[in-house]
Amino acid sequence: MDFSNTFFWTFAYDFIRGPMVWIAFIVFFGGTIFQIFSLLSLTKKQTISKLTPGPGRFIPKRADGEDKKDWVMWLKLSIAGVNPFMTIVSTTFHVLLIIMPIFVLGHNILLDNSFGLSIISLPEGVSDFLTIIVILCAAIFLYRRLFVDRVRAITTWSDYLFLFLAAAPFVTGFFAYHQVFENYRLIISLHILSGELMLMAVPFTKFVHMIYLVIFRFTIVSEYSLGRGNRTW
Amino acid sequence: MFGKKSTTGVNTKEVKAILNEKKTKMELSLKACAHCTLCAESCFLFMGRNKDPKYMPSYKFLNSVGILYKKKGNVDILDLGEMRDLVWERCVLCTRCYCPVGVDIPEMIALARRVCRSQGVYPQYERE
Repeated sequence: MDFSNTFFWTFAYDFIRGPMVWIAFIVFFGGTIFQIFSLLSLTKKQTISKLTPGPGRFIPKRADGEDKKDWVMWLKLSIAGVNPFMTIVSTTFHVLLIIMPIFVLGHNILLDNSFGLSIISLPEGVSDFLTIIVILCAAIFLYRRLFVDRVRAITTWSDYLFLFLAAAPFVTGFFAYHQVFENYRLIISLHILSGELMLMAVPFTKFVHMIYLVIFRFTIVSEYSLGRGNRTW
Repeated sequence: MFGKKSTTGVNTKEVKAILNEKKTKMELSLKACAHCTLCAESCFLFMGRNKDPKYMPSYKFLNSVGILYKKKGNVDILDLGEMRDLVWERCVLCTRCYCPVGVDIPEMIALARRVCRSQGVYPQYERE
């Protein structure tokens, strides 16, 4: 009996491209909102006291500019300065991971077919190229996990699992687009399934660093905070 | 019992009580740590010890609080002894470490220190 014609296969295919998409999005958004509140409940508001100029309080600026922030030194000491290669790889990977799926032509066509609305899409050649970039970045991460001493020292099996889970939608998407394997249906199903699993995993697993980073780096005041936070632990 | 480690000499109730106070933050921090090792260079001890991975802030955090969390506080005196070296000898709590994700590593190390201290495990400088 042909595998792709069995009842189970049809049911599974219909399930992962139907109800499971909704389940994935509900779990993702529900879980994210839950995590945002749970993270914010760990912090409290802090009023920032401002030093207002007054008698005996006025601090004049130095005329020679000695008190200016040394941006060159600041950059040198930041992660971008110490580890420029990993900064580029990591930033590219994470930005593309989030942005790319939204602008892929295929996804927008599906949106158009389902709801009659779609957003601008990237040309297919560009998405194809960006997919290769994402897979390359993931390969660099894997290389680090396997061969770089300091990364190996703290690597656990779950790190490989989550790296695999993050890269899987891109690898399967790439295969599906180029129809590398004869069984297109199987590959596209794996593509959909891996995407859904990844979305559902974001709020509750290691992927939580996506939410954690935004909340803590932007709202908590510290030397390294991004933006002007007004909360504290 | 077979497979169960002896926790003699450690008041696990006390350890669990301390861990419970910071449970959510500890759990989230351990989850959020992506094991990326980008915090390494921010530790002056790591830089000064020939970039030995054992001095990485994340290594110290994962092998102290991580173990306490994994064992749910049921640690034995040997575990705490190893932790003592980690959180006192290899970290001076200068709070200069930098985590790209935003994990509060110093607080986690301080938590491990608190647990060790509550069980009488700390460096005794006058004897050593």
